Amino acid sequence: MRMIVTRPQHDVTTRYLSAWAQEIIERARQKGFEVVDLIKEKSTRSEFEGRMKKLAPELVFLNGHGSDDCVCGQDNEILLQKGENHNLLSRAITYALSCDSARGLGPAAVEGRTGSYIGYTDEFIFMADAQYMREPLEDPKARPFMESSNQVMHSLLKGHTPEQASQRSKGVFRKKFTHLSSSVTDPDALQAAQFLWWNMRHQVCL
Amino acid sequence: MSTEDRENILSDEEVRKLVLARLSILSPDTIVSLGADGSFTRDQLLDSVEQGDSVGNKIAQIQMQWLQSFKEGMYL
Repeated sequence: MRMIVTRPQHDVTTRYLSAWAQEIIERARQKGFEVVDLIKEKSTRSEFEGRMKKLAPELVFLNGHGSDDCVCGQDNEILLQKGENHNLLSRAITYALSCDSARGLGPAAVEGRTGSYIGYTDEFIFMADAQYMREPLEDPKARPFMESSNQVMHSLLKGHTPEQASQRSKGVFRKKFTHLSSSVTDPDALQAAQFLWWNMRHQVCL
Repeated sequence: MSTEDRENILSDEEVRKLVLARLSILSPDTIVSLGADGSFTRDQLLDSVEQGDSVGNKIAQIQMQWLQSFKEGMYL
């Protein structure tokens, strides 16, 4: 089994997504996956296209900024663009931890194809703590968001179907939501719960 | 969401006040990542909501949909 991961690192958001993707890469390798890790400057369109064509991966994990019709890599270079190269995903199971791309790019990628696309139909929002900018994995404010999201990939690596993986991720979102909603001491808890609800509501499996 | 639905819940001004109240209690160290729009501190978010810019409107939209979901009984 083969997996390609894109993880640019050029701002706060991408640094956090990249750091939390590391555990997915390690888990995949433990399970015997051949993993191509397109990190930082390797997260370019030419590199991505070349690796996709050569490796034909079963799993694709995209981390980065996005919009309705695209997902970006390092310095927001467009890696995948609807109407240009979305067919690269046609046979893969893709999880795009990226804003909005399940509106346009995702449907185009899987239309009439064998692949699946899990992504978000609006912005993926998370909270972080300014004191943990250099240690994203230790950031308690980011943890509920990243663990909920990462459940998609953990489930896929266990062999669950894309629909099951999305449902399990939503289950973790729901669990974290409930926990934060009941907090009486954390001043950030209610706002965090609302953002978790937002992400859960906008995660889709196509 | 229709105008009628919005009026049946809260006015834009009431939503804005709710959002400001919720944001104002956040820890000053809290950062909110709003995708390609960027990452924002509590005080930057408060300014955005006050000014009604795109980031502030996004936060208000989330609040409005949140309230709407309660009305529809489908918040989870």
